[in-house]
Amino acid sequence: MRNAYIRDQRERHRRLAVAVLPILAPRPLLTAMNVLGVELWGPPGAPRGHDAGRLQAYVCGLVRNALAFVASGGADVADALLVPHTCDSLQGFATLAPDFGGWGKPVLRFQHPKGPARPSATRFVQAELRFLATELVRIGARWPADTQLHEAIALHRRIDALRAELLDQRARVDLDDVALYALLRRGEWLWPEDHLAELEGAKQQHLGDCAVQHGVPLMVTGYVPEPAGLLATLGEAGAYVAGDDWAAVGRRVLRGPAGDVDGPAWERLAAWLQGMPPCPTRTADQPARIAHLWSIFERSGARGLLIHTVKFCEPELFDVPAIRRHFAAHNVPVLHVESELEAVLSGQTTTRLEAFVETLTRRKEAS
Amino acid sequence: MKPDPSAVGRRARYEVAKRVGSPLLDAASLLRRTTRKKKPPHPGPFGPPLACTGALKDLMTRHYFEGRYADGAVPVAWVTSGFPVEVLRALGYHTVYPENHAALLSVSRLVPELSGPLEAEGYARDLCGYARADIGSVASGKTPVGRLPKPDLLACCTNICQTVLYWYRDLAARFRVPLVLIDTPFVYGAPQPHHLAYVRDQLGEVIDVAERVAKRRLDWGHLREVVKTAREGTELWGECLRAGTHTPSPWTGFDSFFHLAPIVTLRGSEACNAYYRTLRDELRHRVKAGIGGLVEERYRLMWDNLPVWFNVREMSTLLAEGGFNFVCTTYTNAWYEAGRRVEADDLMGSAALAYTRILLNEDLPSKLALMKRLATDYDVQGAVLHSDRSCKPYSIGQIDLKERLQRDSGIRVLLLEACHADPRAWAKEQAEARLHAFMETFG
Repeated sequence: MRNAYIRDQRERHRRLAVAVLPILAPRPLLTAMNVLGVELWGPPGAPRGHDAGRLQAYVCGLVRNALAFVASGGADVADALLVPHTCDSLQGFATLAPDFGGWGKPVLRFQHPKGPARPSATRFVQAELRFLATELVRIGARWPADTQLHEAIALHRRIDALRAELLDQRARVDLDDVALYALLRRGEWLWPEDHLAELEGAKQQHLGDCAVQHGVPLMVTGYVPEPAGLLATLGEAGAYVAGDDWAAVGRRVLRGPAGDVDGPAWERLAAWLQGMPPCPTRTADQPARIAHLWSIFERSGARGLLIHTVKFCEPELFDVPAIRRHFAAHNVPVLHVESELEAVLSGQTTTRLEAFVETLTRRKEAS
Repeated sequence: MKPDPSAVGRRARYEVAKRVGSPLLDAASLLRRTTRKKKPPHPGPFGPPLACTGALKDLMTRHYFEGRYADGAVPVAWVTSGFPVEVLRALGYHTVYPENHAALLSVSRLVPELSGPLEAEGYARDLCGYARADIGSVASGKTPVGRLPKPDLLACCTNICQTVLYWYRDLAARFRVPLVLIDTPFVYGAPQPHHLAYVRDQLGEVIDVAERVAKRRLDWGHLREVVKTAREGTELWGECLRAGTHTPSPWTGFDSFFHLAPIVTLRGSEACNAYYRTLRDELRHRVKAGIGGLVEERYRLMWDNLPVWFNVREMSTLLAEGGFNFVCTTYTNAWYEAGRRVEADDLMGSAALAYTRILLNEDLPSKLALMKRLATDYDVQGAVLHSDRSCKPYSIGQIDLKERLQRDSGIRVLLLEACHADPRAWAKEQAEARLHAFMETFG
């Protein structure tokens, strides 16, 4: 279905299609340049094709899967790859695939500044955005006029606002997690206007005035809600995701005024990127991240925290001890599970999730 | 403003340690060496040991000894190996290199003991072994060097990996001191002008913070002198490495791992350069006299990645017994490639370029080109690529590099999985079996 949609976008709207690696790309820039960004989170499952063995087993599953996938032609429908500089492993992928084989079309990179917000970082983001635009023009996209950039930012801000509403009012949304996350994650590949229409429809149809979720509210922080069986397992055990800090979902929802500021389009675009919630792959500001997580937790009414990481993901793993310490200090139950981006949730993880939800249910009943 | 009496006292203690304690340590070490009964020549596969190894030990002992008294006396910075340290040196910082310290912990096989309690707190064993060892040492206070001075500043550069940022952020939270960062965009092809401008900008920001912490202004004239000294040290280190182009090589690649310490920890100091002059002269002498690092050098190899610190002796002996000598390593070479690019007459611009174009911050074609050049220059017949669980940026791409090196350079290549720091990730029998099989392929 995804491939058919991409082909249709290319043919009917004369859009370029770019396969985008995790986590955060300047999507409003792609939109303004009439480029469809299709995100590639693995895909989950055992890596396929003979290129699966070109990365060591201790490299994150997402990168191994992505290499095997693009090398086996899985992303051939795209005109280029875009690799945001998320971590050392994706940084390596962005040279391995184009330089040593696996991907013969152009590879674009977007390097996020690391560390705290500084004047140098802001100047760099703006320059890097322009550089990416130049690279996109080189492969056939059109240079964006300022008005197009402003419109694209506004469009993505509307998407952000709707996603925030659905996530923040989770208890009042009468969709189970599997359906809600399927909807939210369609934004990874739909043209933004199509995604916006779906979100508006979902709001109208499923967001009510009173709580309809009666399970145990749970907060999740981690990388990506894969395997999808995780959500079904939580639901079957009697829990739902009330607070979301998955890098693929809630951590890419811009709240507040960032990006709404008046000013030149490129500055607004940089502000959109820099205003995103704290992520260890970019700002590495741990106190800010923990404060952010705690605010989600309090706002969501969650009863426990699930830390859901991909094995070997250093940026996430370095934050785990501090997150555990902080939540434990507030007497919040915490469960840490790791996945290797499997297609199916393991029986062991299922048991741990069920036991965790049971603990939270008992605590809820006791209180 | 009145001087703080405790600071004056600490400064006096530091100066005594430096001016009296260190020379006394040197003298005691010299006495020990000269009065020690000479051992008969070792019948093993190695050539005579390098005479200046004692001087290396003295130099590093002095550095760590003076460090014990540095905090409160002079500004102290903990620094990553790829950081432009010249700036800190010119501001009078005593610098500590946690990577070098972690290497000491790894050689001493202390990593499991230091990492264990951290793992119980939630630090994953998949995290870099250096980071776990060093954070574990800070948390427990255990260190083989007596005591490390508490930092006033943490200085980190992402040109070797992003891990250092997470590692130093953890240290910053523990010590509650400022963390300065030079974030170097990864180089695909050639560095972009706006990438270099970004690094240059950050250098300016770092200098502001470093001045504030040191409570003094940077003397740019002095910085130029430090840069010249660092460049000279780097060139001297390069000369030492190039001694390995001779057959037989006057030393082994494993020797070079240990003699790397001064260019990492003392770059920009005259003590560092003096040491490398001594080492260079000794290596030149050995070349002239035909003295090799091995008694019989039958095959010449290249090593890629960090060493397996806790197993260096065993591995080098195993290989040396078969006449295999690592005559060059990409790791030790990295400290020759970068520092010499900093120019005294364009400090900021050249430093931005030099510290961005580090082996680990460049794409795979650049790494392959370097390895092919080393293979030719050092006339190697084989290579061992250490696939290092603890260092992903160094290890990603090695499977392809292996094939390309074999094909393009016509050498035999072995990919050997290990971890540079944590012996728990080391399968001894399996690794030895692979090394034996590799050696057998040479006939």
